[in-house]
Amino acid sequence: MTNSPTVRMLGFVNHIPPAPDIEESIARALDWGVDVIVAQGTGSDWGPYWLGSGGQVQANVAQNVRPYVQAAIRHQIPFVFSFGIAGADVHLDRCLADFDRLCAAEGWDLDVAVIRSELSKDYLRERIAGGAAVRPATADAGLVPELTRRDVDEAERIVALIGPEPVMAALGRGAAGVITGRALDIGLFMAYPMLRGLPTAVAAHAGKLLECGGLALEPGDSGQCIWAQLDSGGLEVRSPHPGYRASVRSLVSHTFYERSHPSLEENPGGCLDVTDATYTETELGVRCTGARWIERPYTVLLEGARREGFRAISMLAVREPALLRQVRGWSDAAEQALRSSPRFAEHIARGRLRVATRIFGLDGVLGPLEPNTEVTGHEACVVLDVVAHDRVLAEEAAYFGFIRLFIGPYPGRKTTAGNAAAPYMPVVIPVSDVYTFSIYHLLPLADPVQPFAAILQRFPGARLEAESRINATA
Amino acid sequence: MQLHEYASIIRSKNAGPFCLTIDIFFADAGGYALARRSDLLTVPGVARAYGVAESDVKGVWWDERVLGAKVSLLRWSSSSDPFCPDLFGAHLHTPLAGRELTDPRQQPEAAVT
Repeated sequence: MTNSPTVRMLGFVNHIPPAPDIEESIARALDWGVDVIVAQGTGSDWGPYWLGSGGQVQANVAQNVRPYVQAAIRHQIPFVFSFGIAGADVHLDRCLADFDRLCAAEGWDLDVAVIRSELSKDYLRERIAGGAAVRPATADAGLVPELTRRDVDEAERIVALIGPEPVMAALGRGAAGVITGRALDIGLFMAYPMLRGLPTAVAAHAGKLLECGGLALEPGDSGQCIWAQLDSGGLEVRSPHPGYRASVRSLVSHTFYERSHPSLEENPGGCLDVTDATYTETELGVRCTGARWIERPYTVLLEGARREGFRAISMLAVREPALLRQVRGWSDAAEQALRSSPRFAEHIARGRLRVATRIFGLDGVLGPLEPNTEVTGHEACVVLDVVAHDRVLAEEAAYFGFIRLFIGPYPGRKTTAGNAAAPYMPVVIPVSDVYTFSIYHLLPLADPVQPFAAILQRFPGARLEAESRINATA
Repeated sequence: MQLHEYASIIRSKNAGPFCLTIDIFFADAGGYALARRSDLLTVPGVARAYGVAESDVKGVWWDERVLGAKVSLLRWSSSSDPFCPDLFGAHLHTPLAGRELTDPRQQPEAAVT
């Protein structure tokens, strides 16, 4: 630790495959100096399915991080990664098993601090029983106003977006690197500079600019890496790849990216405010200063997924002009026949069966908000979408709807052997279980580290434990 | 001319599962100034373009440094909804992008939040 620390960081995104020439970019960053390598690999963009199902986005993270870990080992640079998209234990364990195989294949021998951020239901039940007020992170989204024991019981899995503090604690233990489950992206970047004594505002500003890797460069590309040097007054951002550059425009516009507000960002323990931030081009990059950190009570965002049912769909393609002119009326009639059928009406009334029809070529993207009422192209695709309590009911309702669409009458019908083309066999396609984010709430924490203790694990060798955990939950 | 003709980038994306955010970067200062004068990129203008309540529009912001505007809305069908048509919210800019950008010089300048 020095009195006036500088920290040089290399950032990338580990669920995106790196550019083919990434090793040259990493080498250039190493010439500038790198004190820590950081990459996010979790997020909620993929929706609640992966969290609920325990399934895995096949993002091949072990291969994606290989060139970075190789550099980290060679130059004894710590790395901080979050793994597994949804980032519950089952997702993290699969990524750790892949990482373990990579270590074995490469002949690496590493102690890594692993931080799990899935919360046990017992822990949450105790917190709720103890009076913790767990409120929605966003208003008007139809979330329960205060989390109850029942919400916890009904969720398949619940993860927390851990802040920088558990990572700081783990880095302090001298491991080669830290791998977490679901985590706040910018928290991963904040941890090392905060540990070195840099201001939280600078660390968070760096996190905001670096969290998507090369996407903040010009042209934006998440397969590229990004480099920054932080000091107590701000940071300089550079592109290690000479074909890309950090510009005032690229960085300022990146602060807009995937945030509801352009300059204020609520985080655990504080709000990052870049309203008065300034960006000045330097010889090799952009100097960024002026971010502020406004202290807030410490909370972590919880994400929990609840099963809503099973989805089956049926698709029919329409090219008959007489039918295209009235395609919505025809599909509405089929949907109505399904809804009013004695076989299904009771299930619909009890909320055990839900039906929607999407017409690609008419209202596939905007649904009820679509102002156009007529198909203007020469063909359209009707997707009957059924979500039911169980798979049998979903498939039965979808088949009923398929038959109504296929043979149902419409004014001027001449196509009496079948109304439309069926492109797929089976005509009813079983899709998957369906989930919703039933929990998107803020959990107050007195100690940001305590529920998320790191465990030191040796790679290779950790795979057997990871696999036994996966099998135990399968 | 329509909004998209003045913009070099219009990108639509989730900001968390329940919020949609649309970033618009204008090709030149003239387009930016016109958009800032127009009543399209205001809370009521955005609500009209999408056919949603004004209370569902979280705000419209401007940044002259990058000739940018930002619009955020509550998602009417989020990735949490089993029938969500656009998981990433990547294609929901079109109702706004296709609107005419008119110059209501006779009207007072739109409020900026």
